[in-house]
Amino acid sequence: MEGTQISAAEFARYTGMSGEPKLAPTPLERDALRRFVQAVMDTDPLYYDDGYAKSTKYRGVVAPPLYPVHAFRPAPGGADPLDMLHDDPDADGSGGVEGVYFGLAPIPSPFKRLLNGGNEIEFYRCLAVGERCIANARFADVTLKQGKSGAMLLTTIETRFTTEAGELLLVNRQTLIWR
Amino acid sequence: MTQVWFDDVDIGACIGTIDKGVMTTAHIMRWSAAVENFHRIHYDWRFATGHDKLPDVLVNGSWKQHVLVQLVKDSLGPGGWLWKLKFRYKKMDVAGDRIRGRADVLAKDVIDGLGFVTLRLVLTDQNDQVSTAGHAIGVLPLRGGPAVPYPFVRKPAYDALTFPADA
Repeated sequence: MEGTQISAAEFARYTGMSGEPKLAPTPLERDALRRFVQAVMDTDPLYYDDGYAKSTKYRGVVAPPLYPVHAFRPAPGGADPLDMLHDDPDADGSGGVEGVYFGLAPIPSPFKRLLNGGNEIEFYRCLAVGERCIANARFADVTLKQGKSGAMLLTTIETRFTTEAGELLLVNRQTLIWR
Repeated sequence: MTQVWFDDVDIGACIGTIDKGVMTTAHIMRWSAAVENFHRIHYDWRFATGHDKLPDVLVNGSWKQHVLVQLVKDSLGPGGWLWKLKFRYKKMDVAGDRIRGRADVLAKDVIDGLGFVTLRLVLTDQNDQVSTAGHAIGVLPLRGGPAVPYPFVRKPAYDALTFPADA
């Protein structure tokens, strides 16, 4: 396991650790929602037509069920994720792994390659226009395993998305594979 | 959008399809901009093929997961609810690939007056190669039964429903 800096036991101790609740920088705005559903190519009037949406069980315009995972964009005035490109022309522009950690302190992984090992999601409610969501993330499982091509670190992050009022929107369990 | 009733859904039947057409670099760029994902493998051909040795710029996995959600939501109709979704990416899709999806009914269960359907989901390319595979558990009303509650409320009895072993 070339380059591994900490032991399997030290990785395992992260299981169960939680991050600080993370508040989306802005409430759901109609224009952000418009660009989002146009990019998905989902023309459901539930996402833009007030009259139609009020006649449904949603009682107003809402975002698609999985939208909250994309509600945490950089706040104005904060660090510019593209600054890295000024210093490193080979930087990938991704801004790091914060997009999947949702406030968790990243594990100091000795592995360089990150793969998405799949998602399991439960949906309860859609985010409505004007509502702001909160993410609460924890490491549900952190396990060092030996695969055919060497060691890999399997990390399952469970993130609960709620409204500011505490209503549950969805629970996303994402498995990340570091190799 | 037509209401779908649990009573009318057959095990083994296709309950819905979706066709997004060809994902051009413009479609990929539009998604990357909408969600502010500036990873260069999605729009910078020189970086994607040179630095990361990829065959072309990639269709975002994050976009494909929303296509799965739309596929199930539309398949269940306005009175249904997508409760659970599980998926894995099987292969990369690149600019120029045509993305289509399909949902097939694997199982039906009635619990507390609500109808639960377990679905197999796939997204495929123009060569019918599966790029994303998964399962979903959706909730449908029965004719003469109660509406599916919104917000959806999980009950302990629902935990008896699980994804297939190969999920």
